[in-house]
Amino acid sequence: MPVSLEVRGLSKRFGGIVVADAIDLELRAGRIVGLIGPNGAGKTSFFNLVSGVVRPDSGTVALEGRDLTGMKAHRRARLGLGRTWQSLRLFPSLSVLYNLLIGARHYPGERLATLILEHGRVHRAEKAGRQRALEVLQRTGLDGFAHREVGSVPFGQQKLIGVARALMNEPRCLLLDEPMAGVEGQAYRTIQSLVRTLAAEGISVCVVEHNVAFIRDLCDEGVFMFAGRVLARGTVESLIADRRLTELYFGT
Amino acid sequence: MFSPLILVQILWTSLATTSCFVLFALAFALVLKVNRVFNFAQAAIMTVAFYAAFTAVARGGAPGWAGLLAALAGAAFMAVALQVLGFRALQRRRASSMFVFIFTLIVSELISYVAMLLFGTWPATIFPSLFWPVTMVGGIAVSQWDMLALGATAVALIATFAFLHLSRIGQAMTAVADNPDLAAFYGIDRNRAQLAAMVLAGLINGLAMFLYGTRAQVQPTSAIELLLFAIAATIIGGIGNLGGAVVTAVVLGLVQNASVLFIPSEWQGFLLYFFLFLAIVLFPRGVHLPVRKRPFRTVAAAARRPEEPAGG
Amino acid sequence: MEYLYTIAILMALNVILASSFNFVIGYGGLISIAHPVFYAIGAYGSALLARDGGVPVLLAIPAGALIALAASVLVALPSVRISGDYLLIGSIGVQLGILEAIKNVGWTGGAGGLTNIPALLRPGTDHGVYVALVVALAVLSVLLLHWITRSGYGRAMSAMRDDELAFAALGRNAVAMKVAIFALGCGLAGLAGGLYAHYFRFLAPAQFDILQSAALLTMVVVGGMRSTFGPILGAIVLEVLPQAITFLDLPAGLLGPMQGILFTGLVLVFMFIRPQGLIAAGSVWRGRALEEGHAGQS
Repeated sequence: MPVSLEVRGLSKRFGGIVVADAIDLELRAGRIVGLIGPNGAGKTSFFNLVSGVVRPDSGTVALEGRDLTGMKAHRRARLGLGRTWQSLRLFPSLSVLYNLLIGARHYPGERLATLILEHGRVHRAEKAGRQRALEVLQRTGLDGFAHREVGSVPFGQQKLIGVARALMNEPRCLLLDEPMAGVEGQAYRTIQSLVRTLAAEGISVCVVEHNVAFIRDLCDEGVFMFAGRVLARGTVESLIADRRLTELYFGT
Repeated sequence: MFSPLILVQILWTSLATTSCFVLFALAFALVLKVNRVFNFAQAAIMTVAFYAAFTAVARGGAPGWAGLLAALAGAAFMAVALQVLGFRALQRRRASSMFVFIFTLIVSELISYVAMLLFGTWPATIFPSLFWPVTMVGGIAVSQWDMLALGATAVALIATFAFLHLSRIGQAMTAVADNPDLAAFYGIDRNRAQLAAMVLAGLINGLAMFLYGTRAQVQPTSAIELLLFAIAATIIGGIGNLGGAVVTAVVLGLVQNASVLFIPSEWQGFLLYFFLFLAIVLFPRGVHLPVRKRPFRTVAAAARRPEEPAGG
Repeated sequence: MEYLYTIAILMALNVILASSFNFVIGYGGLISIAHPVFYAIGAYGSALLARDGGVPVLLAIPAGALIALAASVLVALPSVRISGDYLLIGSIGVQLGILEAIKNVGWTGGAGGLTNIPALLRPGTDHGVYVALVVALAVLSVLLLHWITRSGYGRAMSAMRDDELAFAALGRNAVAMKVAIFALGCGLAGLAGGLYAHYFRFLAPAQFDILQSAALLTMVVVGGMRSTFGPILGAIVLEVLPQAITFLDLPAGLLGPMQGILFTGLVLVFMFIRPQGLIAAGSVWRGRALEEGHAGQS
């Protein structure tokens, strides 16, 4: 399977804290990789560095052969790098549907001049975006919530909104930060099957998750991180079986 | 084209003039570090300090030391009022940082209008004369004010840094600045630490404004412009770094005062805006307070591979 | 009659200024106090182009607005790139620095002011025409800003204020958006400046000082930030109140400070007692029912 995301030598330190230490990692199209490791291992920092939210000290990131190094977060997103956030980061002032529309790809209404001068074009894009948002909502089982305020939606569905919002941009690589924390029941199963379908469509997926059962059920592969480094990579079973890693995980 | 003697003279006078500015910068940087507020209301504190001294000495005929006490008391009072009635209430209400900004700005403007109403818009001085006795030291004119200002500034700097590092409340202030949550965890009262920082900054302002007002004319609007200098120094010096702010203030002050050599005097005031612009364009990385390095070094060293060169 | 015309024109200009300032600080979340300086740049730019450059007044006014817009981009680009805090500091520097420059430079008339600015209207024309023009432009400005904030662009502004990181991670360019918001707001202030210059035909730096910043902040905060009608109400109240003070017959030396205290005091009172202002904007973004309403189109 072709390489989707390629990270080479990614390093970052804040003051004296090393959050990424020469990380090399490849994600392949259609594969789901689970990032595991104790708190503070640098998993979320890795997502921040790859998505361009935090600027690395050194290292390169490429998506489908295209170099993203040095690009701002919004350009990476437009090139197909989608992500969700551990703390959700939904837009509380917008309804569910509008939260999704912010993520719409090719939205000309973003330019003030276009908005004023080419109103017709913006209008058509708005309609297309809305159409796509409704499709994504349907796909994620959120269609009943379209016009609700995000704050009034149950927590599990809020997590889904985060994923749905990232899907609006038609990502080629999806970084999911703890999609399952605090989620159970129907939403849990929906997220699980959604991630599987997305991978089957050829998207590369990387999941940070503490729920080991979820990782084991879902991921083709696991990557163990500690102190900003990739310590081991292999099947999730083999990582769980490794006594050395378990000790690091539980901090004995 | 200038004799070395003249250069030394200019340097000396500039250094003395800069002393008050250093203190303004120190006060601004301190409140920014501990309270995490861009306190534009510092201009209000400065204005109150000046007019307190002005009222006591120029209007009331009190001696100079009483004027200094009045400036200190006025500044401290204003600082406490700001913290207790303003910042604390806004913090409790989780007001956005924009809201807090507007608050500090509006307070400093309100105080300047009140000063205009009470004292008029004319420039005023604490003592009737701005001239101080001068003695010649090796061909350099050294005025009593120079000695007084430099001496007082040195004492204030030493006292402030000693207070921050040695006293319990000073250490608490540093702890709150580094990590408010962690400080709260260790039982340090954030409210008290922030109030202490405001009072300390108020006292520094009181002293500096008294010194400034015995040497230069002050108007109700002067403080806002004086404050800009402190802001530029704080940004260039690195936000969260008090020593950096102090050193930058000295350098900027020297450059600005010595600029009479290079540019027409009516444009001298303009240099300040130039500094501010430079600070924003060239030294913008200051918003995130730098992480304290020492405590984490060991952790980082332990985690680092031995063959990995430092700085990765 | 002339007095009423003057009040009406000042009120309409204040509506443009307050609405555009609300667009910048309320909708854009960009804290700037330099709005009066872009008003000044528009006024001086247009006045000098017409007086010394021989440009027809009708062209000079939009040209002044464009100069203000360009200047605002120059201010916003370096400061917005990093963080909102820097725009505030930069704007204070710009507000004080540019006025300082206007005072010291010869060709602006210096601190004494710029005189003999050509009028837009031919002598003898009823000034009611000018009132109509300014009021019409004020209404258009308000409508334009209202339309933008209710469009998909306004939705994006709302999201950007909510969470800039999430906004960027969805492929949206927050920096470009902020610069555009700042430029449009300041450009409108520049337009108001040109309209001012060619009616009153005299400009002095003191008219654009920090008292104006306080007055504009008051209009927005008291009227109601992020509402369409709040700043309009604020602009009208703030134009009427000082006029009322003028009738108190205070000595000139007290008038300025009293007005200043009134402006700043009002803001403080509102900040603590009614932070949402007279007309409260809801916390939830509401747009036009664009698609439903136009179902048959395209």
